[in-house]
Amino acid sequence: MTPAISVTDLTRRYRDHTALDGIDIAIGGGTITGLLGRNGAGKTTLLRILAGHEFPSSGSVRVLGAPPAENEDVLRRLAFVREDQVYPDIKVGQALRAASWFHPNWDFELASALLDDFGLRADKAVKKLSRGQRSALGITIAMAARAEVTLFDEPYAGLDAVARQVFYDRLLADFARFPRTVVLSTHLIDEAAALLESVIVIDRGRLVLNAATDVLRGLATRVSGPCLAVDSLAEGRPVWERRRLGSQASIVMVGPLSAHDRERARSCGLDLTPLSLQQIVVRAAAGVLAPVPIRVPETGFEAGFETDRTGA
Amino acid sequence: MNTWIKVARYHLVGPASYLMLAWILPFSFAVGAVTAGRARGHDAAGYLASFFIYFAVLGVRTIGRSLPFSLTLGASRRSFYCGTALLGMALALACGLVLTALQAVERATGGWGLSVRFFRVPYLLDGPWPATWLTSAVGLFALFVYGMWCGIVYSRWGLLGTLAFIAMQALVVAAGVVVVTFDHWHLWSAAGGSLVGLTGLGLTGVIAALTVLLLAGGHATIRRVTV
Repeated sequence: MTPAISVTDLTRRYRDHTALDGIDIAIGGGTITGLLGRNGAGKTTLLRILAGHEFPSSGSVRVLGAPPAENEDVLRRLAFVREDQVYPDIKVGQALRAASWFHPNWDFELASALLDDFGLRADKAVKKLSRGQRSALGITIAMAARAEVTLFDEPYAGLDAVARQVFYDRLLADFARFPRTVVLSTHLIDEAAALLESVIVIDRGRLVLNAATDVLRGLATRVSGPCLAVDSLAEGRPVWERRRLGSQASIVMVGPLSAHDRERARSCGLDLTPLSLQQIVVRAAAGVLAPVPIRVPETGFEAGFETDRTGA
Repeated sequence: MNTWIKVARYHLVGPASYLMLAWILPFSFAVGAVTAGRARGHDAAGYLASFFIYFAVLGVRTIGRSLPFSLTLGASRRSFYCGTALLGMALALACGLVLTALQAVERATGGWGLSVRFFRVPYLLDGPWPATWLTSAVGLFALFVYGMWCGIVYSRWGLLGTLAFIAMQALVVAAGVVVVTFDHWHLWSAAGGSLVGLTGLGLTGVIAALTVLLLAGGHATIRRVTV
């Protein structure tokens, strides 16, 4: 099956820096993908290129089977929410009316339900909206557009927690009824983690992680408990991080845990906590991506935690 | 619905700056009538220029804040440009017709009963009504397209680029003036005071040709605009 979005060796250079450097991605149709990375990593540039707002320096970009730039067959089937969207001097209702002309699957009921959910008034001028309300307007447009490909670039800047939950709930509910390809760029990783089927992490313009969320969820586990028991369980396994406090140790162990491992941990009084998606992404962005060989723990017991992070 | 039409409608969805058009004429007419209109010659036609200049302002305004959102809505740059130009042409034709009608009323009422010349611009808009309509529509559209181009240049290259763009035009115009007024070539006909003996309609043709160049320039500039 042709992926909904496919990017091959995509590079975008500006005069003094390279925003994207040889990115290769394929995103299947009907999925919600998280686009993650630090500020300035290149997420927005990538999304702008996907939406045809920006041009690549080299490489190929295909959305719904064709290059998106200046291609209305693609653009009308695509919705894009930008964090820094500039609006003309119009009112909320007028912005929605204009959007309805451009999107063939526009859902008026959903648009008005979202306005209610977010507490937006249709007769309010866009320039008088707060930052959060502006984000809510962008979300409303992109959701009601019901476009085959929907790109959210930090869609909820300034939105309060309740409104963000509205966004997640609405997105999931509407996605279940009308599956589409969603790419969501966000910094609130754990908050959005339940939505994401796969994640793409870019750092300084390079792709550093592209994996299914399910795979990542079981990727690493924090093991805490008596030093000897922790060391024994971790023996022969890659470890990302190691902390010690007196006779207690806490490590991040890479790789799936078998039922036998869990039973051993339980009998030794070890505490197992799967590493959250956000913690894995933080490590991916820091370059600690590949599992690394275990390091023999230092002997001696110091007061206070000692952190020993191993690099890839 | 064709995307060009959608773009034209999109501009009109927030109609405030277009409704301004209806206010400029009575305002500048009133100012013209009580100032130049009361002086000798009763010629207040210069005040009509404000209406034409506003078309250039409208042209600039159609780009700045409107272009980014229209691209977000899924219009291509090409459609945005053509749809915007289409709107400009429709506005120019409609407003040209209004000017033509008001000129007829001015003629019929002997200058609104005050012998004022406001809609009868000597040389340019002083012929039969079809000529007035054509010349005013072409002039308005040319200024609109020029405004669009300036707006696009600003979107693409920022303030410095726009200043360079304007400086380049100043050079071109200055060179043109030097050529035209170079006595030896007799390009400026002293007798008629008109350019190379052009009639008002001839000048309309020149402006129309210039508009085509402006349209091509704007189109070439918007093709690689990023937002």
